[in-house]
Amino acid sequence: MNWDHVQLIFARELRDQFRDRRTMFTIAVLPLLLYPLMGMLMLQITQFHREHPVRVSVIGNEYWPGQLPLLDGQRLVPGYLEENESKLVQIEPTLVPSHQIRTVPFQRDGDQVVEGDAGKTSDSKIEGRSLYRQQLLDESKNRVFAGETDLVLLIHPDTVEQLAKLRDHLNPAEESTLASAPPSSSSFLTIVGNRASDRSMIADRRIRAAIENWQRTWVSQKLNEANINQKLVQPLSIGEIDVAPAATRSALVWSKLLPFVMLVWALTGAFYPAVDLCAGEKERGTLETLLSSPVRRKEIVWGKLMTVMCFSVCTALLNLFSMQVTAALVMRQFSRLGTEGLFESLGPLPISSIGWLIIMLLPISALFSALAMAVAALARSSKEGQYYLMPLLLVGMPLVVLPMLPGVTLSVGTSIVPVTGAVLLSRALIEGQYHEALVHLPFVVAVTAMACLLAIRWAVRQFESETVMFRENERFDLQTWIRQVWRDRGETASAAEATLCGMIILVALFFGRMMAAEPTLDWIAIAKSTLIIQVGMILAPCLIMATMLTRSLRHSLRFQRPRISDLAFCVLLAICLHPSYVVLASWVQQEYSIGADTKVLLQQFDAVIGAAPLWSVIFFLAVVPAICEELAFRGFIFGGLIERNGVVRAIVVSSLFFGMSHGVLQQTITASLMGIILGVIAWRSGGVLCGMFFHVTHNSLSMWLARAAREPDGIPNWSQWAFTQVEGGWDYSPTWTAFSVLLAVIGFAWFFARERDFSIPVSGSITSLRTES
Amino acid sequence: MNGEVSFDRVVTIALSLPSRRSTSFCSAFNGSEFLLDCELSFPSRILSRCEVARGRGLIHPERVNLSILEVHQLTKTYPDMARGQFVALGGISFAANPGEVFGLLGPNGAGKTTALRILSTVLQPTSGMVRINGFDVMTHPAEVRHSIGFVSNNTAVYDRMSAWEMVEYFGRLYGIEKQNLRERMERLFDDLQMQDIRDVSGAKMSTGMKQKTSIARAMIHDPPILIFDEASNGLDVMVARRLLDIVAKLRDAGKCIIFSTHIMREVERLCDRVAIMHRGSILAEGTLPVLSERFGQDDFEELFFELLSHHDRQHGIEAA
Repeated sequence: MNWDHVQLIFARELRDQFRDRRTMFTIAVLPLLLYPLMGMLMLQITQFHREHPVRVSVIGNEYWPGQLPLLDGQRLVPGYLEENESKLVQIEPTLVPSHQIRTVPFQRDGDQVVEGDAGKTSDSKIEGRSLYRQQLLDESKNRVFAGETDLVLLIHPDTVEQLAKLRDHLNPAEESTLASAPPSSSSFLTIVGNRASDRSMIADRRIRAAIENWQRTWVSQKLNEANINQKLVQPLSIGEIDVAPAATRSALVWSKLLPFVMLVWALTGAFYPAVDLCAGEKERGTLETLLSSPVRRKEIVWGKLMTVMCFSVCTALLNLFSMQVTAALVMRQFSRLGTEGLFESLGPLPISSIGWLIIMLLPISALFSALAMAVAALARSSKEGQYYLMPLLLVGMPLVVLPMLPGVTLSVGTSIVPVTGAVLLSRALIEGQYHEALVHLPFVVAVTAMACLLAIRWAVRQFESETVMFRENERFDLQTWIRQVWRDRGETASAAEATLCGMIILVALFFGRMMAAEPTLDWIAIAKSTLIIQVGMILAPCLIMATMLTRSLRHSLRFQRPRISDLAFCVLLAICLHPSYVVLASWVQQEYSIGADTKVLLQQFDAVIGAAPLWSVIFFLAVVPAICEELAFRGFIFGGLIERNGVVRAIVVSSLFFGMSHGVLQQTITASLMGIILGVIAWRSGGVLCGMFFHVTHNSLSMWLARAAREPDGIPNWSQWAFTQVEGGWDYSPTWTAFSVLLAVIGFAWFFARERDFSIPVSGSITSLRTES
Repeated sequence: MNGEVSFDRVVTIALSLPSRRSTSFCSAFNGSEFLLDCELSFPSRILSRCEVARGRGLIHPERVNLSILEVHQLTKTYPDMARGQFVALGGISFAANPGEVFGLLGPNGAGKTTALRILSTVLQPTSGMVRINGFDVMTHPAEVRHSIGFVSNNTAVYDRMSAWEMVEYFGRLYGIEKQNLRERMERLFDDLQMQDIRDVSGAKMSTGMKQKTSIARAMIHDPPILIFDEASNGLDVMVARRLLDIVAKLRDAGKCIIFSTHIMREVERLCDRVAIMHRGSILAEGTLPVLSERFGQDDFEELFFELLSHHDRQHGIEAA
């Protein structure tokens, strides 16, 4: 690669982007303006909340014996709220005009009924009261709703009675007929507010706070009167010590939020220049001249990639800077307002933390830039390029959001997730957990480097592909497309068809598992659902696709007659690898712990399987899955992906599909790793049958061991040398485990080094499967 | 043996050339291929010397192919949704010489652009051979790129760069030294009368200015071959004529020019030889008088139309 070319392209693209007003706006101006504006808005809202005067109507003030203790004429009684806030509540004692009340059967003074005759029964009296109460309530609602007032504090007409009941209840010493009765459940104060209105909510907050304080004062007064220690109300005082360093504590929110914001901007900042540099150059026709100059495509990609990355990093840093400056200024403003307690954890990050963030940003920015370039290279025009942002965000976002989820911390499991691992690592560094960070550093570095390399390779490939660079504007027509697919179907599936098949299987499994889940857990049900899932959701899609999309089932499903020695080797390999698989599985279960519910379910499952006849267990859980899964994953999908020297792609992608088809995370991990071994077997043996033998042996061993290990005499004498007795059963002996790995490695080397003829003709025995079109 | 020279003679001619630089050079001689490793400055120069030899009857013209640009049985197929494998080029062959304007004439979709993109190493051929200045486009793309200048139909000018910056950028990509580049650019800008648009940015240029900038960019490394892909598309009469004048001057300077177009008048005015392309194949090739004579049609536009219709009838395709 000629670095002079790369440098020239980089310099030109950089200058070009600097001259582009749109890019500069998104990348530099927007972040510099956005956060100060947001900060100002926040301040305004807070001020609005703090300083906005509100009107509160008090309806039924006359029903309270004397003046409501909360009120002092048009004001709240000072002391219940802070002085400046108290001033902002304007009280309007309101009398409901009598013409708005249809009947007034009830008045404040005792139980005298003013209207109607005195001989009315108490039932009708109660009815009348509740009617009146309802009318007052309706009136209050109407007023708040119409905006005549922000809030209504309604004092009910029977307050005197209720207060009396309350007093009787509180002072049982004073003999009263109602002494033993509990206080009436109906309240005598009702706040009528409107949640949709900010002003109403502010009024609500203030009035509630005032009532709360009034009540507290009243309680302590009563306690004093009764000569009861105040401590009785809150007997426990809880001390509090926070071990988080002060810097961490104050930056708590930012250390979670900033990586997220930064990476979103790194992605956005990479995307727009990438679209301009790839699709825009295509659109203007300049790409063609560049391609005909002595620059190699790899050099073009590197030059452009560096530009994109530069902008990605700059956008993220400018956002970070702008956010921190705004945060610092807004915080100062808040502290002037006296509400710093609310925003205690919003302080600016210390410099060292910002340093860690920047170190994390660089590789992830490179990853995003390469991805953005590869995606943008697909677009024919800038406009089309914009449409690709959403899919890219959909892929990138979960990885960025994952570390924000509560409880997600740095572990081996999370550190091998691209982006997520790096974010968690940077957070650990910010929080000063250096040991933790150091332990996981190799994983994060390896995964990030790998992801970067793959993304860059993808971008270079895109630029080397004629179909990507000179894509014609074809209109999609379903009918011609179907005709074309039928006409052009090959001996084996194409890579796209193989990937589609994998996705169809995963989707079918997702829905199929939910539907096939039997409420009862017995062997028949398990066997039935296994059969449905294996045949209906894994084998069927791949068979249907193989029949429709390829000319030969034998080739597309990779029915190649294997060598007998290969078959034998696969059986032995499965036996030798099983101990290490068991170790791996238990390590995975330790690392990614299973939920309690699942554990119980698994135990029940084991018990059911343990009771079922061994042959049927092996048939349903070893033979059927081996045939169906191998045909699908190592047959159709692998055969499609291995096209055009895609060996690595075939092995990796088919094993990922195979892993994900297992549904449970723990199984996905182990199955993916087994998938890689199965993939290598499928590649080197050239067919699907060797994998089936391996698969059957492996599953059978697992099934047998699961039941044999639980019984003291489950392991036959002749094979006891490979096992040791552990608590509650048998396990592989460490010696055998280590030795078996060695055997497996030697065997694998032999298998790998064996001379292969990948074009072995297939004999007639299996050709009956072949379909002639 | 009349009119033929021995292989030794060709070598002698080649080695008698003044400048010496190592390169390789292929020639088909007496029906078989010889690879000569010669110490030469520009293969084009021996080619022109051999042309002279050919003209003097020293080398048998049919036996020896010493063209600077050779295309032999070139095919290109694309995967296409509607038509399956779409054959853009179905095995075309032609050759062009220095000091000659070779016209590729054909309607839209004839495969001209595809052919020229393969010549400029932007696309790879499906099969066949393309040799430019002695280098195969598949095996020596870098050398081929140094030997050609490509002017595309959409002028290909960066919006946010001035004419000067753009030409300088490409000059540096071609590895020309700074001082040398400066001198060459000054000369080029003078020749093309571009000094007044030196600092005009691409977005503000008229189509004519863009076209000139594009030509300057293609010529900055002084390639022996210039490829114009429908370069006069969308130009007004004045600008188009100026373009043709520039092309004529370049030809007179000894450049080999491949000029693709679908405008008859340009062909008549400019091209020394023409290949008429249609649906991925060459229907006829030769100088204009030869073509007129062969098809008995003096009006070139009629000739073109008849050829195309005849081809479509033969292949049972409804003429558009």
